[in-house]
Amino acid sequence: MEDIVIAIFRSGTPLIYVALAGVIAQRAGIWHLGLEGLMIAGACATILGIVLTHSIWIALLGAIIICVLGSVLFWFVVEKLKANQIIAGLGLTGLGLGGTALAVQSIFGTQAAVSAPFGLPRIGSAFGAFGSLSILVSIMPIVVLAVWMMLRRTRFGLRLSASGEHPFAARGVGVNPSVMRLVALMLGGVLCALAGAELAAGSLQIFAQNMTAGRGFMGFAAVIFGASHPIGATFAALFFALVGALGIRAQLMFGDRIPHDLLLALPYIATVLGVWFSTQLRGGTKANNSFGELRDQ
Amino acid sequence: MTEDRSPIFQCRDVTVRYGHIVALSDVGAVFERGMIHAVVGQNGAGKTTFARVLAGLVRPASGELEIDGRPLPGGNVNDARKAGVELVHQSFALPPSFSVAEAMQFGADGGGMFTKGGLEKRWQPHLDALDVRVQAKQRIRDLPVETQQGVEIARALVSEAKLLILDEPTAVLSPEGAEKLFERVRRLKERGVTVILILHKIREVLAIADTVTVLRGGRLVDGPLPCAEIDANRLAELIIGPAAARNLKSEDKAPLTRAAALTHVEARETASSRAPVLDMRDVSTRPDLEGPALDKVNLAIRSGEIVGVAGVEGNGQRTLVRAISALSDIVEGQIAINGGDVTNVPLVSRRTAGLRVIPFERNVEGLSLTSSLWENWSACGLLQTKLLSAIKPSQIRKHCDAALKQWDVRYSNVGQRAGSLSGGNAQKVILSREMDEDARLILAAQPTRGLDIGATSFVWDSMRKARGRGCGLLFISSDLDEIFDISDRVIVMLSGRIVAEFHPPYDIAAVGAAMTGVLR
Repeated sequence: MEDIVIAIFRSGTPLIYVALAGVIAQRAGIWHLGLEGLMIAGACATILGIVLTHSIWIALLGAIIICVLGSVLFWFVVEKLKANQIIAGLGLTGLGLGGTALAVQSIFGTQAAVSAPFGLPRIGSAFGAFGSLSILVSIMPIVVLAVWMMLRRTRFGLRLSASGEHPFAARGVGVNPSVMRLVALMLGGVLCALAGAELAAGSLQIFAQNMTAGRGFMGFAAVIFGASHPIGATFAALFFALVGALGIRAQLMFGDRIPHDLLLALPYIATVLGVWFSTQLRGGTKANNSFGELRDQ
Repeated sequence: MTEDRSPIFQCRDVTVRYGHIVALSDVGAVFERGMIHAVVGQNGAGKTTFARVLAGLVRPASGELEIDGRPLPGGNVNDARKAGVELVHQSFALPPSFSVAEAMQFGADGGGMFTKGGLEKRWQPHLDALDVRVQAKQRIRDLPVETQQGVEIARALVSEAKLLILDEPTAVLSPEGAEKLFERVRRLKERGVTVILILHKIREVLAIADTVTVLRGGRLVDGPLPCAEIDANRLAELIIGPAAARNLKSEDKAPLTRAAALTHVEARETASSRAPVLDMRDVSTRPDLEGPALDKVNLAIRSGEIVGVAGVEGNGQRTLVRAISALSDIVEGQIAINGGDVTNVPLVSRRTAGLRVIPFERNVEGLSLTSSLWENWSACGLLQTKLLSAIKPSQIRKHCDAALKQWDVRYSNVGQRAGSLSGGNAQKVILSREMDEDARLILAAQPTRGLDIGATSFVWDSMRKARGRGCGLLFISSDLDEIFDISDRVIVMLSGRIVAEFHPPYDIAAVGAAMTGVLR
């Protein structure tokens, strides 16, 4: 039982961070399909940072800077160049996947996985079996709570939500929705960097090409499943992690009787079902990208 | 209330351009403190732009603004709000998922964290003080329009507003709701708030305002004029211009100028003996995002009859049109068009039976703005041809050209995009397509919305002509005056039901009561 809980936290934490990034963007009115790209950029930057500087903190800072820059680029393309959000987001994902491969290739001259001598600090053996989890897992509940407080219990959060749901209303009280989106995406960039860092340096200490394997998109699915609510998205992400952990467990138990591929597909099937289920239970903010919001006469 | 009579707001030479379009041109006006000012004009006269300039939402290309004796830099909402100017938008300018308390907080000053309870405690007294009867924890989207508007006004008054601008506040209200709004505005005046009302109905201007300012084509025609010294006819002439006023048919001028009491009755041949072109029996649908479900609607429209549908927006008018035009599933009941049952047949067959639709959203449902005029014009006709049968574009273009000329559409060639036409011309393209010789039942949903008086008059005329040819028409409008003016009878919709039916002479008070559910 304990190992299942640990497995859920281990695989769920990156999902939660990336989902929170998606929630903030969604509330500000951006369908963030670039999460995958930012997440892998964060993972790559963390491992490369450790290898090159031998400091986890400089590596984390580097990952955050890279992801925030990627978010600013996304914002510029969407808001200033008026590109379609979905296409731009997928482009960002492509940039992340390709860019990280290029970075590894150009530094190490090989496509192989890069391993780091050490990863994120662990919680510590005082917590028994949980001690092997990274500190990013331990601060995760605090981050979730902080994002919830910011979005739902501050005026800033209200204005950010209004920018997504009803930009014209935001403008009417003197808020610039475009600036709010920039802020939302930059905050999301920080969270994506943490997601990537946890994925690559939380327990593995390795970076491999395409190692996010759709987790960014699963995080986005958690946003929809959780009705763009930080707590809801967190539980959605934990649910996906649970299904994943059960899938691995099932693989060990019935691996010879059930096709291997089917078990591997379980989390993704759960994602699809989860999103379908959440549309049955409507609620929360639905970001609305109204065209011609400043209609005149 | 202060005795200070210095102007609260003045502007000089304000010009606003959107691209090549000049929305306001050299407008200058002085508004006195502590009064209710009306700003009127037709669609496109620049009223909304004027309001947005005041509120800082639109930056004027040139001109000066002065609030309370201090110059105000244009184009910055925060500056305008600091100076005490607040704008309440035409409708629905609060995020629907917010609670009332959140909607207040999001426009207020002072940051920091809050709790749900604390927020409600903070704002409930403010709402009560303004007599907005609402629980601070309710969500905006669950409130009726009148209450939403009350909340918006309360939102605008969270800070010490000196100048409150209401942009077409009555557009979404029933007559009774409008009267309540005016009562609220008068109380604000007593509290010393200067109010600017953007209106387009003369009757409302004369009922509420102390002064009236008239805009036409982006220019200031006159004003602010004291309302006590102007009559409805003179005001109508100022609004539409002397030349247009001369050309306007007297019967079309009536709804513009008429006072609240209605005396206008037209003797018309009764159509009751003729066969119905639409016969709906106990029709129910499912609720959807567009409004409430139809609940056992019975409606018969006879040949040569215009049936007006009155009702506050969002009470099932859209669903009614969707049900008749096969866009909503019918849960129970029957619909017959021109004598044949069409309950379960698709729109194509219904069109063959003579159904035509002038839809609510001209630019979304009515036309494909990126397609050419001839493509738009021919689309419905082509439904009747076989899927794989060849069409001859050149032939269609020729027919389209002839039809559009006949309908007096102003365009350069039939290949131009529908989006390049003005509202009135775009509507004429739809009319030419939907009011053809084979039409038997025409659903006209808000056919005059957003049109100027000339185009509006044209639409009315076309509807009367279609009636003369023996069509039955269902006419939905949010403007009671035009409904009364051309309908042979009027039904009232409330929450998906037809709750009342009226025959001329219409009693506006009774219709209003039925619209708001006072009368059952």
